[in-house]
Amino acid sequence: MSVPSQSVDTAAPVSPAPPKAAFETLLEILRQRYLASFLSVAGGLALWELISRVLVANSLFLAAPSQIAVAIYNLARTGQLGHHVGVSAAEFALGYVIACAIGIGLGLAMAASATMKQALQPWVSGLYATPTIALAPLFILWFGIGIWSKVLVVVTLVLFPVAINTEAGLRTTSERLIEMLRSFGATRRQIFLKVSLPSAVPFILAGLKLGIGRGLIGVVVAELFGSRAGLGNLISQSADAFNMPDLFAGVVILAFAGIVMTAGFGWLEQRLVPWTRD
Amino acid sequence: MSKLAISRLNKSFGDLEALRGINLAVERGEFISVVGPSGCGKTTFLRIIAGLEQATSGEVLLDGHAVRKPGSDRGFVFQNDSLLPWRTVLDNAIIGRELAGPVRPADRKDTMELLKLVGLEGFEHYHPRQLSGGMRQRVNLARALAIDPEILLMDEPFAALDAQTREIMQTELLRIWERGQKTVLFVTHQIDEAVFLSDRVLVFARRPGRLQAEVKIPLPRPRNLAIKRTSEFVALVDRIWRMIEDDVRAAALYENT
Repeated sequence: MSVPSQSVDTAAPVSPAPPKAAFETLLEILRQRYLASFLSVAGGLALWELISRVLVANSLFLAAPSQIAVAIYNLARTGQLGHHVGVSAAEFALGYVIACAIGIGLGLAMAASATMKQALQPWVSGLYATPTIALAPLFILWFGIGIWSKVLVVVTLVLFPVAINTEAGLRTTSERLIEMLRSFGATRRQIFLKVSLPSAVPFILAGLKLGIGRGLIGVVVAELFGSRAGLGNLISQSADAFNMPDLFAGVVILAFAGIVMTAGFGWLEQRLVPWTRD
Repeated sequence: MSKLAISRLNKSFGDLEALRGINLAVERGEFISVVGPSGCGKTTFLRIIAGLEQATSGEVLLDGHAVRKPGSDRGFVFQNDSLLPWRTVLDNAIIGRELAGPVRPADRKDTMELLKLVGLEGFEHYHPRQLSGGMRQRVNLARALAIDPEILLMDEPFAALDAQTREIMQTELLRIWERGQKTVLFVTHQIDEAVFLSDRVLVFARRPGRLQAEVKIPLPRPRNLAIKRTSEFVALVDRIWRMIEDDVRAAALYENT
């Protein structure tokens, strides 16, 4: 070999690699971690494109990825997309924040007192298992087709997993850690703040993560039942008009939002609760 | 006045008599170990002194004051490290002071010094998951020392460590003890560990848990690991082992059925 080889002594300190080698290492890492995923997604999209152009060459039934991309571009250009996304995002955000606040509060109350838990448990468990989304038409009747009926749907869907996880997280605090704090003369309040709450954070985050998917479903389905704007509205109007590219545009945006928010939570978990990884 | 005075201590869990009639006087700066078969109540004994458990009857006096609940005059070192996984080494070690009031820069400085003493200099900002079992037990020890307790209560702190690490931790503990001359009450099921560390070894018997015998360890200090190979050391271990042998066999049999 003409190139001077690197030291083979693995115990020696690693010298900084030259830039080119670093770039190649990066490529290697990308290839190892993401190549299969990338090929799978790209292959899937290509297959979809092929099927919708050759096999189901009927734009009333299926839109090709390229057509969807064009539709998204056009909807964005005219400002329609921004409006729909804005309305849905507002509904989701309001409902989600309200649900998290109440849900964490309920969880805390249930963990704090046995009586409280006995009183609330049947409601929380029952409503968690109920597809409360079926109440969306009722909420629209009560609160009109504006955003508040959707906010309520989101709240009823997100609230219960958050409450259940918060309570579970606080309840499963390690007895060993509580005992350790007690040995240092900690008060009940200090035990709650310094052990129970921090150790419940991973559970609470898992509940919040679960709430994302449920909340998005809530927004869209509630909008399908009756709305003036929003991604659900876009989807239902496009379906009525047999405008498949616009319909899929709505779906793709929703999928994207779900993926981004869930990935965001994954990142948040790594930052906030790194000790749960191992 | 004895540092720690225990008289007629009894403890029952329902029908189970865990401890019966324990009397003990510990002098300031003494290193005392408690050995005995599993189920002899040695951990319960330690937990009552810590205030984590209430005695059914009898009295525990620390510096003349009755012990009823945990307090900063006693530092407890746990068998499992019980470190808070979301806190760094420093933040774990400082928790006793944090519970007592706002943490001042002086508290941080003292705790850093202690971490240095237990051999964790440079690891202050690591998290427990990044440390080995031996290092975690060092944090556990530093955490108990950080509140500058009158007495150190140690509940089989090296039981979960491998044999080599355990021996290193034993010598480290002696080094730290010889510097500060804290009073130590050390529970273990390892007789050689008890003999190596202690001035006195209390031998507990089971069913009910009671103080069977007390063995003075006249080995010279400072001690190093080589002492474990002396005939004097081996004779002491052997003597204690013969005291509890029948009990240990009975306990082993009982636990398997």
